[in-house]
Amino acid sequence: MSIALEIKGLTASVGTVEILKGVDLDVPFGEVHALMGPNGSGKSTLCHVLTGKSDYEVGGSARLDGTELLGKEVDERAALGLMQAFQYPVEIPGVRLEEFMREVGVARGEDPGAFGEQIAAQAERFGVTDFLRRSINDDLSGGEKKRSEMFQMGVLSPKVAVLDEIDSGLDIDAVRQVAEAVEQLRSPDVGILVITHYSRILGHMAVDKVHVMMQGRIVDSGGAELADELEDGGYDAVRSRLGIEAPKKEAAAPSVRDTLTDLPF
Amino acid sequence: MNADLVERRKAGADAFASLGTPTDKLEHWKYVDLGFDPDRIATAVTGAAPLPADEVVAALGAVHVAVVDGAVVDHSPADGATIARFSDVDGEHLALAAALSAGMDPDRDRLSAASLAHGSDGVLIHATRGHRSNVVVDVQAVATDAVSYPHLAVRVDPNAELTLTVVYRSDDGFRAVVPRLDISVGDGAQIGLTTVQTWGDETRATAHQRLVIGRDATARIGEVGLGGALGRLDLRVDLEGDGSSVDLDGLSFGDRDQTLDYRMLIRHAGKNTSSNIFLKGAVEDRASSVFTGLLRIEEDATRTSAFETNRNLVLSDEAKAQSVPNLEILCDDVVCGHASSVGQLETEPLYYLMSRGLPRDHAERVLVHGFFEEILDELPDQSVVAPVRELVVGKFVAAQAEGRL
Repeated sequence: MSIALEIKGLTASVGTVEILKGVDLDVPFGEVHALMGPNGSGKSTLCHVLTGKSDYEVGGSARLDGTELLGKEVDERAALGLMQAFQYPVEIPGVRLEEFMREVGVARGEDPGAFGEQIAAQAERFGVTDFLRRSINDDLSGGEKKRSEMFQMGVLSPKVAVLDEIDSGLDIDAVRQVAEAVEQLRSPDVGILVITHYSRILGHMAVDKVHVMMQGRIVDSGGAELADELEDGGYDAVRSRLGIEAPKKEAAAPSVRDTLTDLPF
Repeated sequence: MNADLVERRKAGADAFASLGTPTDKLEHWKYVDLGFDPDRIATAVTGAAPLPADEVVAALGAVHVAVVDGAVVDHSPADGATIARFSDVDGEHLALAAALSAGMDPDRDRLSAASLAHGSDGVLIHATRGHRSNVVVDVQAVATDAVSYPHLAVRVDPNAELTLTVVYRSDDGFRAVVPRLDISVGDGAQIGLTTVQTWGDETRATAHQRLVIGRDATARIGEVGLGGALGRLDLRVDLEGDGSSVDLDGLSFGDRDQTLDYRMLIRHAGKNTSSNIFLKGAVEDRASSVFTGLLRIEEDATRTSAFETNRNLVLSDEAKAQSVPNLEILCDDVVCGHASSVGQLETEPLYYLMSRGLPRDHAERVLVHGFFEEILDELPDQSVVAPVRELVVGKFVAAQAEGRL
């Protein structure tokens, strides 16, 4: 089996609003794919549907190394080897990053000594040693949060890594650092899906394939030249080439943020 | 016993006779059921054998004072502090004991009056000027079907520094306890007070604590409330001296049918004083918790800074948490604030933790543990942190394992 992530006819809706309208996408092991699309096209929804957030009504199929993800609990998907790096990693006061990673090690049945060494080594590698003793994402800048996510990927070695809007809110240096981190994560044992709506970060990393998502579907796939086309002509260029009508008003998908119930702990 | 102490006892007896028994008709007792009749309960006969050390006491190492059923059964010297039974003191220390006993209004409520009238003994802890001392007190209620009145009177001399840790505990079986802690902190002095109450399931405890803080003196207080059918703490802090301050961090966790009741009055009287109250509580099963906090800023208390925050985590449908923060501001040169919340475990952090591979129950444990960490970090006596964390997480784990949530 060489396909890390195999998505077929994936649909998702919230109430009567259909956000994903049949997504087909394959990410083979050893490759890095980019998923691009305008705001509201359903990219973040795809991430959360894969991760298993309970807000959506879903259909179709999403397989990780051959195993169906849909219908499984969030932690079961993680145990199979899925990891999402979040666009907005939540701050969790009182739970230290290192302690959290150790708890995950316990849940996975890892050897505590070896896993502890792995935590220390990956922290060094991604420059987050200073955050280990701090609460998860607490008081971290945008770039630091992304680094913390990359560090967790380094520790957990997922088979499928989905990185949601990894360049949003980052300055130019941080974008390059994140791109370098993705390059470091590339290996024959992992398929990586990088989600972005700017092509900028793609200038700093080698992607094997670029997919364009609009209105809940993958409308085009190609090589790095597709990112160049977007860089030059924007999404309108792709729309006109494919004969897709620009929506008068692109209905924004309900974002993750909107569904938060904020309790001020 | 000197005349002042005798007078205080009489005043207590009078107040006890004239005050009404706590019922939910009285504002002070609105949220709790006392669970025994103060007129019909015997004062504990002293002489029972003390309890063996538990995890918290073991973590503390040396115990300087042991109080069993209101009687001081043992005390040993601590560097920089004098420790003595009320019945043994004379001269300057007798005057100190009397002055400290006068700290609480006899008519604060019927139980504080009973404590004044019927308390069998008390212990004086006197941290002397210019010294740094560390005192550990183990307060136990052993006799069943009776009430006891443990009383600690503490004086921290000017420019002295005292770390005082008090453990309150009892076994199963009904008993009532009315502990009293009167503390006077002299000018420029510091106190770090940590109290840990792990009363047994059927103990009904109504504690009174009062601190009077002098000029440029600071009090750091850590309160841990875990036990008792009723665990009530009535705390009053008077920031009398200019530049005095109090920081209080507290945690409570109620399960089964427990009621944990916190009443706090922080009174700013001096100028340029500051207070910061931060209380976190969790309830599960049918437990209930109440926080009633009043910040009172007196007319001349200019440049006051006063904040109180109360966060509550409700882990079962039938558990209840109430939060009643109040401000009473008689001065306009102040910065004050209060915040309170009552809620369940948040879904977003749970989702995040699970997305890394923690099963839901494991992720919930991590969150409950994390909820209390910022309080544990602030306890003045850090040696109790490990056993307290075990007890707190243990309550939640037990409820999870027994399917009670």
